[in-house]
Amino acid sequence: MTDLIVNGDAEQGLTGWLTVAGAPVVLRYDTGQGYPGPGDPGPAQRGASFFGGGNAALSTLRQSVTLPRRSSQFVLSGWLGGYAAQQDGARLSVEFLDSGGTPRGLVVLGPVTAEERSGRTGLVERSARGTVPPGSRTAVVTLQLTRSGGGSSNDGYADNISFTVEAR
Amino acid sequence: MLNRRDLLRAAASAGALGTVWPLASGLSPAEAHAAALDLGASWDAAPFCLGVGSGDPLPDSVILWTRLVVEPLAFSQPLPEVVEVSWTVALDRTMRSVVARGTVAASNLLGHSVHVPVSGLRPGRTYYYQFRALGKRSRVGRTRTAPVGPVARARFATANCQAFHDGFYAAWAGIAAEKLDFVVHLGDYIYEHGQVGGAHVRDHEGAAVLSLADYRRRHALYKGDPSLRAAHAAHPFFLTWDDHEVVNDYSGSEGSAPFVKRRAAAYQAWYEHLPIRSGSALEPQIYRRRQWGSLLDLTVLDLRQYRSAQNLPDGTILGPVQKQWLLDGISSARETWQVWINSIMLSQLARPGGGYYFTDQWDGFLRERREVLGHVASSGMKDLVVLTGDWHSAFVDDIRPDFDDLSSPVIGTEFTAHSITSGAYSPEWNAVNGPVLGAANPHLKYFEGNRYGYDVYEVTPSRFSAHMRVIGDRRDPASPVSTLTTFHVDRGTAGSYEDPATVGSPAQYRRP
Repeated sequence: MTDLIVNGDAEQGLTGWLTVAGAPVVLRYDTGQGYPGPGDPGPAQRGASFFGGGNAALSTLRQSVTLPRRSSQFVLSGWLGGYAAQQDGARLSVEFLDSGGTPRGLVVLGPVTAEERSGRTGLVERSARGTVPPGSRTAVVTLQLTRSGGGSSNDGYADNISFTVEAR
Repeated sequence: MLNRRDLLRAAASAGALGTVWPLASGLSPAEAHAAALDLGASWDAAPFCLGVGSGDPLPDSVILWTRLVVEPLAFSQPLPEVVEVSWTVALDRTMRSVVARGTVAASNLLGHSVHVPVSGLRPGRTYYYQFRALGKRSRVGRTRTAPVGPVARARFATANCQAFHDGFYAAWAGIAAEKLDFVVHLGDYIYEHGQVGGAHVRDHEGAAVLSLADYRRRHALYKGDPSLRAAHAAHPFFLTWDDHEVVNDYSGSEGSAPFVKRRAAAYQAWYEHLPIRSGSALEPQIYRRRQWGSLLDLTVLDLRQYRSAQNLPDGTILGPVQKQWLLDGISSARETWQVWINSIMLSQLARPGGGYYFTDQWDGFLRERREVLGHVASSGMKDLVVLTGDWHSAFVDDIRPDFDDLSSPVIGTEFTAHSITSGAYSPEWNAVNGPVLGAANPHLKYFEGNRYGYDVYEVTPSRFSAHMRVIGDRRDPASPVSTLTTFHVDRGTAGSYEDPATVGSPAQYRRP
């Protein structure tokens, strides 16, 4: 299984990601001020940094990857979260496209609601696996961070994004 | 009078409804037939239960669509993760003169839906198509490519608002039988709420839909009306959406996690069940501009995905990117019929004494409407016709850049069509309020809210005619279709007029 995502753990800033909307940022777990910290729910191997929505209502990061020939199985996973009882969130998706750009498959993870986080600030793991639709040539992995209601801070959070594909 | 459900049940027991498909594997065939009929639904034979369709015709290409299901209302389908589907395009209904064929993998990751962009076709031609999977053949569909160059005449229909529980789709049967180049769907293809109960002729299959599995079931239920499947098989479609494909009165820019999750499920299911040409099933870009030869330009608008909340000073119904695209299109418009596909009313609909009836429509986005219509006026774009749904009643409006200023010029006409089935106000409300609407809105020329149906538009280089087709009774799936009235717009002359032959037809308001 090969992980096709570059810098899925935000440890290299936004390297590898294309910003297609808003102003996504990379935050540190030692920021404090209510942001997720080392002791909050999240990945065991969380490193120092994670993705956040910045100060835009909608912030979107994307990586388009070429699928290996003879792709068979895939696994998409990520840690997605938000702040306390607010409904800001992170959604991770992969869309499989054929050579003409027609969608052949779609998997959507999250966003994780405040209820699913039990009203706690932190990140929760979500994953899906399946068969790469035959005829797929590229996979578009999109991380969308959304702000609920007013205010300025988009508290959709994500970390440890992974998209692995097995070739026959 | 016999109850229609009893009639259908009798027909099923007599074997007359061979296309009915079981709802769930736990039911015997007879139980499954009865359960489906209780919902007022029947389907084609598996795995093509939901029928076939085509869409977004270009001069050399159309999208062919189907979705494989075995049990239409099951939450998951007993199918392999991937099913190979072959498709064929031919010049004849018997599928002998084949011009294109291929295979495509239908994946569980898109609900085993199939979207085939067939290319290499010839402009202005009728084609037939058919799918094959799991050893079975689908019904044969008919489609048509867009013409190029001079076109003497085009004929198309618009449809909107087809609440399943509010009636049978006699209007769709009418559309299927019409001789048309294409059909436009203006939105509210499904409704998201739960069962309504009461005296309705049929009902939704369950509670309000929230998840992807829910929305798939709801779309499958709606495809359980044979007249809707017949219309999809008969004509290519252009489609936009309104709110009920997701939830009532939503704004696509809302960012709360439960809504973002629901919206993604709804958009994916909408894509899976319709002949959409798009590079994404997650967030399909559905606004687009299409040409029907040199006769007309279609501008398909998306008034949901990018909108802000209503009644904001800087609110937007289009979103900044689509708005700029629309403004640019106005600036560079050809001299031909400019037809906007607009899900929700553009014209002002003011209440007497102030305020508006509904600010979910363009009345809730005043600054943007002024900007767009002001640009139509200042750019000199002519021959604008706006086609609208949503209201469950028919309106004809003069479009002005400033509806409150009667000295501002008429720059186009808006035709708002009757709904397929979705309930309108009562005849009493319409009788009282038709004249009230007319008095408060000097640009309103006509209002009729007691009927259901669709519009057929007949377009020539010199005239754009709107024929209001209406059915007799939503409770009758075979209710006959008639033409209530016809309005015309003459090329080069802004504003509409009613055909003298139908000017005495029933209406609750008609400007003298």
